[in-house]
Amino acid sequence: MIETRNLHMDYRSGHVTKHVLKGVDFTIKPRDRIGLLGRNGAGKSTLIRLIGGVEMPTKGKVIRRMTCSWPLGFSGGFQGSLTGYDNARFISRIYDKNYSEMKEFVEEFTELGSNLKMPVKIYSSGMRARLAFALSLAIEFECYLIDEVIMVGDKSFQDKCKEEFFEKRPDRALLLASHSLETVQQYCNRAIVLKDGRATTYEDVSEAVAVYKKL
Amino acid sequence: MARLREGLRVQLNVIQALTSRELMTRFGRENIGFLWIMVEPLLFAALVGIAWSFIRGPVNDEINVFAFVVTGYIPLTFLRHSFGRSAKIFVANSALLYHRQVKVLDFIFVRVLIESVGAMMAYMFAGIVLAFFGLFPFPADIGVLVLGWAIYIFFVLSLCTILAPVSEVSDVVEKLVPVSIYVSIPFSGVFNMASWLSPELREILMWSPLVSGMELMRYGLFGSAVTPYYDLGKAFGVSIVCLLIGLILCRRIRRTMTVT
Repeated sequence: MIETRNLHMDYRSGHVTKHVLKGVDFTIKPRDRIGLLGRNGAGKSTLIRLIGGVEMPTKGKVIRRMTCSWPLGFSGGFQGSLTGYDNARFISRIYDKNYSEMKEFVEEFTELGSNLKMPVKIYSSGMRARLAFALSLAIEFECYLIDEVIMVGDKSFQDKCKEEFFEKRPDRALLLASHSLETVQQYCNRAIVLKDGRATTYEDVSEAVAVYKKL
Repeated sequence: MARLREGLRVQLNVIQALTSRELMTRFGRENIGFLWIMVEPLLFAALVGIAWSFIRGPVNDEINVFAFVVTGYIPLTFLRHSFGRSAKIFVANSALLYHRQVKVLDFIFVRVLIESVGAMMAYMFAGIVLAFFGLFPFPADIGVLVLGWAIYIFFVLSLCTILAPVSEVSDVVEKLVPVSIYVSIPFSGVFNMASWLSPELREILMWSPLVSGMELMRYGLFGSAVTPYYDLGKAFGVSIVCLLIGLILCRRIRRTMTVT
């Protein structure tokens, strides 16, 4: 279970303070597939970063009782100057996983071939997404935090994600920030709509989608 | 207790991973990197030593000027590299903070670790090369030499824990780093022994752990040819106070840091 309690997040730049989150409470239970909806700048990425522990909330707290992936998104998690393999080795070390098993899985899942010997900074966002998903799947987290990034993948990648997440690992939890209503409706059993720094949870995904469309 | 041990094990893994990453990015492609750490001080010592022996002639029969210069310059290089690399170190590595177990302190610790290993290798290398020409003595007391290094490294580490978070908040600090290194030369015993100074000045310099460390290093190397002045209590006291301030600052800055 992952629980957020009264999360507040402010960003300060000079004299301007932006209150991004103003008290967010919700719970992610095992097997939950939660879609996170909201307009640009509503705080979806911020919320995911707080849950992932990348940034610290101004007030409130995140209680993690499941292992939880780092936020899988367009940036972060990799050292750009290192190759795909070197990044995999780094991640296998810090998460205490066997490197050769991880390497095998990454090669098979990403289908990146010799690109894995190139520095990650020259990867396209689709290639990065493949690598990030492969690594996090190899670690076997109980909860995955996904920030938009599934949608940059091509058809074969999306099919693979679907297979790995929904067919092979139905017991995992998922928090998926997305503007693709189709993806959210297809994958999620609950949804959260972020608006004005507050979160509303909907047990019915189509209700959440209707609310989001009116924003 | 079990949680503490688990935490320590994770941090050890992280430090190991960061160290090999750091070595790969810095020295992996061109292997000249690590070699250069060792060659540079030797080159400097050779040039200063030659200039010095022309200007002043042989000053002291027992202490060789080449050995004296190189034993001062290598620790200073270590200090300079550690400070230089600590500035903005959090932002430079922020992509890795996506992984919760990676802490900002790990970055500082790994940098100082790599720099100190490089510096001590350079010390040995320079010593061996100079000894080949009869310009470097065999250490009189290796234990004291190592203690001197330990004090020096510990203080540099604790200063880096202050410098790194402060440089995230203020751009001025980063710009001031080179200046402060040059200003610190007289306070770090690089090119002089404390015994050459007036007692009043010496008393003040004892507040600098760098001086105590350097004096001990030189005593460990040259033995009774030099008269060392050091204050272990002050050296450790000052270092620990700096480290505490640094740890508090790191924690505070991390809490409000924006990770991109």
